[in-house]
Amino acid sequence: MTTIDDTAFAAPPARSRPNWASGTNLILMAIGAVLIVFCIVPFGLVIAISFGQKIEGAAWEWAFTFENYQRFFVGAEWPDTVTFLYLQRLGYALWYAVIASVLAVATALPFTYLMTRLSRAAQARWLVFLLASLSLSEVFIVMGWDILLSNRSGLPALFKATGLTDWLKDVGWFDVLREWGLANPRNVKFKPSQFATILTMSYLVWPYAVILLYPALSRLDTSLIEAARTMGARPFTVARTVILPSVRLPVIGSTFLLFVFLLGTYVAITVFANPAQHTTAVSIYESVRGASLNAPFGATQAVILLITAAVFLGLGQALNRASGGAR
Amino acid sequence: MAGLHLEAISKTFGTQTAVERMDLSFGDGELTALLGPSGCGKTTLLRMIAGLETPSTGRIMLGDTDVTAQPAHKRKFGMVFQNFALFPHLNVRENVGYALTIAGVSKSEAGTRADRLLDLVQLTGFADRRIGQLSGGQRQRVAIARALAQEPDIFLLDEPMSALDAKLREEMQVELRLLQQRLGITTIVVTHDQREAMTMADQIVVMSKGRLEQVAPPDQIYNAPANSFVAEFIGKANFLRGTVRDAGVVIGDSYLPISPPPRFINGSPVQVVCRPEQITLTDAGPLMGEVVFVRDLGASREIHLTTPIGTLVAELAATMAPTTLKKGDRVGVHLPVAALHLFPDGAAPDQTAMAAE
Amino acid sequence: MLRIAGHLFMALSAVVLALPIVVVAASALNSGRTMLFPPEDPTLDRFWEFFVTETVWTTALLNSMIIAVGAAVLAVVLAWPLAYVLWSSGSKASKTLAALGSMPFALPPIVFGVGLGFFWAFLGALGTIAAGIISHGILFLALPLVTISIGLQSIDRANIEAAATMGATEAMIFRTVILPQTLPYTISGFFFALVLSFNEFIVMFFVSASAYATVTLQIFNSLRNGYTPTMAVGAITFITVSVLVFSAVARWGDLPRLMGADQSKT
Repeated sequence: MTTIDDTAFAAPPARSRPNWASGTNLILMAIGAVLIVFCIVPFGLVIAISFGQKIEGAAWEWAFTFENYQRFFVGAEWPDTVTFLYLQRLGYALWYAVIASVLAVATALPFTYLMTRLSRAAQARWLVFLLASLSLSEVFIVMGWDILLSNRSGLPALFKATGLTDWLKDVGWFDVLREWGLANPRNVKFKPSQFATILTMSYLVWPYAVILLYPALSRLDTSLIEAARTMGARPFTVARTVILPSVRLPVIGSTFLLFVFLLGTYVAITVFANPAQHTTAVSIYESVRGASLNAPFGATQAVILLITAAVFLGLGQALNRASGGAR
Repeated sequence: MAGLHLEAISKTFGTQTAVERMDLSFGDGELTALLGPSGCGKTTLLRMIAGLETPSTGRIMLGDTDVTAQPAHKRKFGMVFQNFALFPHLNVRENVGYALTIAGVSKSEAGTRADRLLDLVQLTGFADRRIGQLSGGQRQRVAIARALAQEPDIFLLDEPMSALDAKLREEMQVELRLLQQRLGITTIVVTHDQREAMTMADQIVVMSKGRLEQVAPPDQIYNAPANSFVAEFIGKANFLRGTVRDAGVVIGDSYLPISPPPRFINGSPVQVVCRPEQITLTDAGPLMGEVVFVRDLGASREIHLTTPIGTLVAELAATMAPTTLKKGDRVGVHLPVAALHLFPDGAAPDQTAMAAE
Repeated sequence: MLRIAGHLFMALSAVVLALPIVVVAASALNSGRTMLFPPEDPTLDRFWEFFVTETVWTTALLNSMIIAVGAAVLAVVLAWPLAYVLWSSGSKASKTLAALGSMPFALPPIVFGVGLGFFWAFLGALGTIAAGIISHGILFLALPLVTISIGLQSIDRANIEAAATMGATEAMIFRTVILPQTLPYTISGFFFALVLSFNEFIVMFFVSASAYATVTLQIFNSLRNGYTPTMAVGAITFITVSVLVFSAVARWGDLPRLMGADQSKT
C-alpha cells in the first residue's frame, strides 16, 4: 500500500527520446532491410518457383502454370487418371506429426510439473540435460534409435537374449505383434514401422515440449494447489480441476507449435518409415535434390507444406484467443 | 547557491493531471519534505526537479539559472531512489564512485573519494562487497553516498525509508538529518510518513491530488493547519460539524464560543478541529462527556468520549490522567478556545486520502 | 505413494531421454567397422580417426565450427539492436521486425532450407561457407533475440534513471549499465545459436548443395552407406559440447529464468 506512489501515473521512462529517434529509425531500417532480404525473399522465391516449369533433362524455367499444383492434388495425368499420391504423403505428414506431438506433450506435461516442484538448482541441472538433448541433431537421435531398434543389435537382440521373444510367443502376443508389422517369423522387428517413426519423432520434440510448458508450470500458483488440498481434494482431482485448467492455453499452444515443427521432419521418416508411407518432406527433397530433379514441383510441395503449417499455427492462435476470451 | 524555485510548474499525463500549476521555493541548505498520500503528485514533482520528467508548464530555477530544459544528466542533482537502484553488476565502491568515473575522474581517485564517502555514511570496510551481500539499511547508506559523490547542488530522496523496517527507519531519519545539516545541502525528501517529515524537515509541503495544501515549518503544519485535509492528514484530530452563529459555533444543541470570532457569516456550515492532546478533562463543566473506551499507550492515555457535540478523543499525558478513569465515568470536557481551528465544511476530510495513511 | 510414482516417472523419462545418446556413445568404442551395441572389443581408435587422421571428418568438424561460430556471432549482432529498439521504444515497427526475424525458426525448416537453396543459387553463392553462415545466422536469430530481450527486461529502469541523475549520458548509460547487465544473456543467446547451428541438418543440407560437409551432413551421408563407429564419435563430440555449453550458461546465468521461470521464486 505505502510503496505504491504516484509513480503509477508516470509514463515509462526512456521512451520517446527525440535525440535518439533518428538513430533508432536508421537501425530499424537497416535491420528491416536485412530481414526482408533473408526472411522474406527465400519464401517468396519458393512461392514464385512453385509456378515454374521443369525442362526435361535440364533444369527449370520461369513460368506461370498451375500444373505443379494440379499434380499435387490429382496427379500429372489428370483428368485421364487420378492419383492422390502427394495428398497421401501430406496426409502421412499430418498423421505422424499429430500423434507424435500429442504424445510428446501428454508425457512432457506431468514431467514438467514434477520438475518445477524441484529446487532451483535441481531444475537447472535438468534443464542442462534437456537442452543438451534438445539441441542434439535429428541425425544423431535417429542414429541412436536406429541402433536401438535395429534387428542385429539393440532391443530385438535384447528380447531374444533375455527370452522375452519366446515368452511373447508362448502367451500368443507375438502373433498380435506380427499383425501390427512389429515382428518377423523369428523375432520382434521394430523397423521400418510407424511405431519407430512416431517414437523417434516424439522423442525429437519431447525436450521442446518440456521447455515450452516450463514457464507456465513454474509460475503456477502453489497456493491454489494447497488451497485445493486443504479443501480435501485428492491429488488426481487437484490435477484435473486446478493444474490442467490453468495450463490449458500453453498446452494447446505447445502442441500446435510442435506439430508444425514435426510437419517438416525428414531424417526420421527416411530411416524409419516404409517408403509407401513417406511424407511431403521426403518428397520435397526428392524433387529438389534427389533423383527426379523437378525444382518447381519441389517448391510447390514446400508451398503447400508452408500453407498447412501457417493454417495450423493460425488455428492454434485462434483457439488460444477464443478460449482465452471465454475465461 | 540560492535555493531552488519552481515557477508555475505543472504536469499532465494525457488527460490526467498529476501536478497542478504551482509555485514552490526550496531554501538554500534547507531540508524540505514533500508529504502526501499515494497519488498526490509528490513523486512526479520530485522527478521533474531531477529532470526525469519534463514539466508540462513552468520553469525550474536553480538560483538564477533556468534548468528546465536541462536533461537529468546535465543537472548536478543527486538522487536516492525508493528501491535505491544500486547497480547489481558493480561493487559498493564502484557504485559510489560511479558519478566520478562518468565525469572522467581516474579510477584510483574515484576509489579514494568513494572510500571517504563510505566513511561518511559509516560503511568503512564495505567497499569491496557486492550489492547482493548488503542489508536494506546498508544499501540505503550506499545509495546516499552514491548520490552525494558528485557534490550535488540539490539532494533528492524518493521515499528513502520505505524499504527499511520501522526501528531502523527512525534511526536513519535522525542520522540523515544530521548529515544533511553537516553538509548544508539543499535537500528534498518525498515521503508519505508524517512522522518522517516532522523529524527531518525545515519546511513541509503537504500535497493532495496534485495540489498544494500547505507549505510551512513542521510546528505550523501541526498547530495551525491551513485546512481540514492538513489537520486530518497530520497527527490525530477531532472533527466536529456545526454552523456559525455570532462569536461561536452551534453543534447539535450546544454552543461553542470561538475566540477570535470566526470569519464566517452566520449560518455557514463549518468543521471545528481540535487536537486530542489539547483537550483537558475536569470533574464537572459546561460540557459533560461519558467515557466509552480508555487506551493506555504507556507515555499517554487516550480517552474516547461521547458528548452532546459528538464523539471526542482526548489524549492525556500519563502523569495527568487519573488512572481510576474507566468506562462509564462522566467527566467535564474542556476544549481550550485557542486550540480550536475552524474550516468551511464541504471541503470535508477526504476519506480516500485517509485510507492511505 | 504418489511421490514415489512421480520420482519413478522422472527417472524413467531420464532413462528414455538418455538411452539413444548412451547407445550412440557406446557404439563409438567398437573396434570393428560395424556399429554394434553393446560394443565389441572396446577401443578409442575411432576418436583418433575422427579428430586427427580421417580428413573427411576433420574437414567436416572444421566447417561445422566455422559456420556455428560465424552464425552465432551474426545472430547476436543482428539481434542486439533489434532487441534494444524493441525494448526502448516498443514501437509497432520493431515488433513487426522481431516477428519477421523469428519466422524462419517457427516454420518447418525444410521450407526455409529449400527457399535459401534457390536464394543462394540466384546469387551464385550456393555451396559457399559464407552462405552457410548467413543462413544459420538468420535461422537462429530468434534465440539471441529472446535471451537478450529477457536480459533487457530484467534491468531495473530506476538503474537507468539513477545513472542519468549521476551525469551519465544515454551512450554512457548504455556502456556502463545496460551492456554489462545484459552480458550474461547475450552470451547465453550466442551459445544457444552456436549449439543449434552445430547440430542443424536440413537447412545446411540445401544450402551446402554437397559442395562441402559439416559433421551432421557427413554423418547423414555415411548413414546411407551404413554406419561406422567413427560417426558415433561425432555424436559424442556434440553432446559433450552441448552439455558443457549449457552447464556454463547455468553456472554463470540464471537458466531457469532464461527458460521463463518466475523471477521471484528462488
